Amino acid sequence: MAQTMKNRWAGLLLLVVILVVLALLPVLVNNYWLRIATGALMWAGLACSWNMLGGYAGYINFGHSAFFGIGAYATAILMGAEFAVPFLATIPIGTIVTALFAVVIGAPTLRLRGAYFAIATWAFAEVLMQFATVVDFTGGTGGIGLPPFLNERFFYFAMFAAAVLTYFLTWLLFERSRFGLKVKALRDHEPAAEAMGINTSLVKLQTFVLSAVVASVFGSIFAYWVTFINPKSVFGGDITDQMVVMVLLGGLGSLWGPAIGGVALFFVNRLIWMYYGDTAFYIAILGAAIILVVLFLPNGIAGLFARRSGKSGSVLDTVLGRLLGSRQGGRS
Amino acid sequence: MSMTAQAPAPGDQPILFVRDVHKHFGGIQAAAGVDLEVGRGEIAGLIGPNGSGKSTLFNLVAGMETPDRGQILFDGHEIGGKKAYRIARLGLARTFQIPALFENMTVSGNLLAAAAEGHWHGAQQRADETLALLHLEPVANNRASDLSGGQQKLLEFGRVIMRQASLILLDEVTAGVHPNIRKIILEAIARLREQGTSFFVIEHDMEMVRNVCDRIIVMDSGRVVTSGAFEDIVQNSEVMQTYLGRPQ
Ligand SMILES: Nc1ncnc2c1ncn2[C@@H]1O[C@H](COP(=O)(O)OP(=O)(O)O)[C@@H](O)[C@H]1O
Ligand SMILES: [Mg+2]
Repeated sequence: MAQTMKNRWAGLLLLVVILVVLALLPVLVNNYWLRIATGALMWAGLACSWNMLGGYAGYINFGHSAFFGIGAYATAILMGAEFAVPFLATIPIGTIVTALFAVVIGAPTLRLRGAYFAIATWAFAEVLMQFATVVDFTGGTGGIGLPPFLNERFFYFAMFAAAVLTYFLTWLLFERSRFGLKVKALRDHEPAAEAMGINTSLVKLQTFVLSAVVASVFGSIFAYWVTFINPKSVFGGDITDQMVVMVLLGGLGSLWGPAIGGVALFFVNRLIWMYYGDTAFYIAILGAAIILVVLFLPNGIAGLFARRSGKSGSVLDTVLGRLLGSRQGGRS
Repeated sequence: MSMTAQAPAPGDQPILFVRDVHKHFGGIQAAAGVDLEVGRGEIAGLIGPNGSGKSTLFNLVAGMETPDRGQILFDGHEIGGKKAYRIARLGLARTFQIPALFENMTVSGNLLAAAAEGHWHGAQQRADETLALLHLEPVANNRASDLSGGQQKLLEFGRVIMRQASLILLDEVTAGVHPNIRKIILEAIARLREQGTSFFVIEHDMEMVRNVCDRIIVMDSGRVVTSGAFEDIVQNSEVMQTYLGRPQ
């Protein structure tokens, strides 16, 4: 017990130190590194948003980039000459569009077994990418430019605020509330959760919409930051792939796992880019990370720090079991 | 049919009322016109050979399966074909024959999750009381999947306690557990019954049936074949031989 209290204080102290360092980062490093830190915060936040549904509810979303892309395009289109909406006002509009899409996609597919949901979300992102390529208002293949705002500190703090808010919300909703208990219960055994009075379809949909909306916010900031987007750069399957690997490496279903995995892999990505000038090698590293996790680290890097009384099973076992149909997923 | 006319008046209404319930799986008639009642405050035992449709009946009552036809009233509400979570919210709780725990959550987490929908007020305190009642305090912070088989049965039962249900369905909750654990479960049942909870229990162990059940309902091939006091059922050696196999 005393040990637990001590660890809790140590953890809180570490968190405060990290937050203070992050808040002071713009005066500690140059713009080059600040850009890298901005990207790291974005990926930490995106991985966290994927983990909400994938890790806490156990539903694998292979098309999460769809929502990142909707947010990015909403901001890009609305900030264009035609509408000239101020940046901050584009974010809520993007999230509303995202939430509508999430409800339309999620309501029918979240009732199905996990594998169907995974396929449906993947197809949805592909369709959106093709759609953005062929229609006019997205700028087609050529993409779409945004009014440049060359203030690295603004974007750093925007990503920082979004990431802090994302993790705070995740902690509050999934680790500290009844809602989180319901979500984790349905992940572990859906029929039993129903038998406990939990409306699993509704809770899954709420979680899916929340995770989509968070990804959309990061998409909005990203578009304004990079000042130019195209279908591949915001809807691409590689964006979802990275989120998935970041979460698995960091620790599926844990609060800090996605932050650890997101920051670590993004730095690896940048280092490889600096030394080799392309990221083909990075893809190989992603593959290696998945194999490493599946074989030796089912609880990810975060799992190395958690003291567990036994070692029977992991969230990864549960989620893979459901995805492959060897466990209770739908009705009993 | 005059089913509704036969249904008892609200005052002395049974907590569970099942009439002419049918359910088939392909060619198997798992429920072939089930008629039964469970009274308020009663502990009714459900016995019968393997495959006679006991678990299917529980699934129909708890909303995990939809009846082909027939009537199921719980506490006066028509619940046949309703969603499981809606039936649970009316005050019905069940255990699963194969423990269906929230495996990645802690033991306390399992108890709290059971109370997360409705009855949340004071849930933490009730979880602590339930841990004490079921002797699960030492493993309160363990993952549910780290528990022994007997402890898993206890936790399965503990979640049901957390529901504060008016009717509890227990599906072979003492099957294969150590006598010490069986004793803990029996004490917990006695405690809940004092508070007015009704029980409907599937049980193979005749000792257990004799000790806890007020009345026995015997099923075979998807039908209720007889019901009555334990002694009457046991003295009827024909019933014993036909429906329970070897005398126990
Ligand atoms: N979901 C199902 N699909 C197909 N057959 C089932 C299903 N559930 C039960 N059955 C069949 O219905 C019959 C009754 O089973 P069950 O209710 O489990 O019996 P009991 O609990 O009395 O042993 C059995 O023949 C069983 O194989
Ligand atoms: Mg059975």
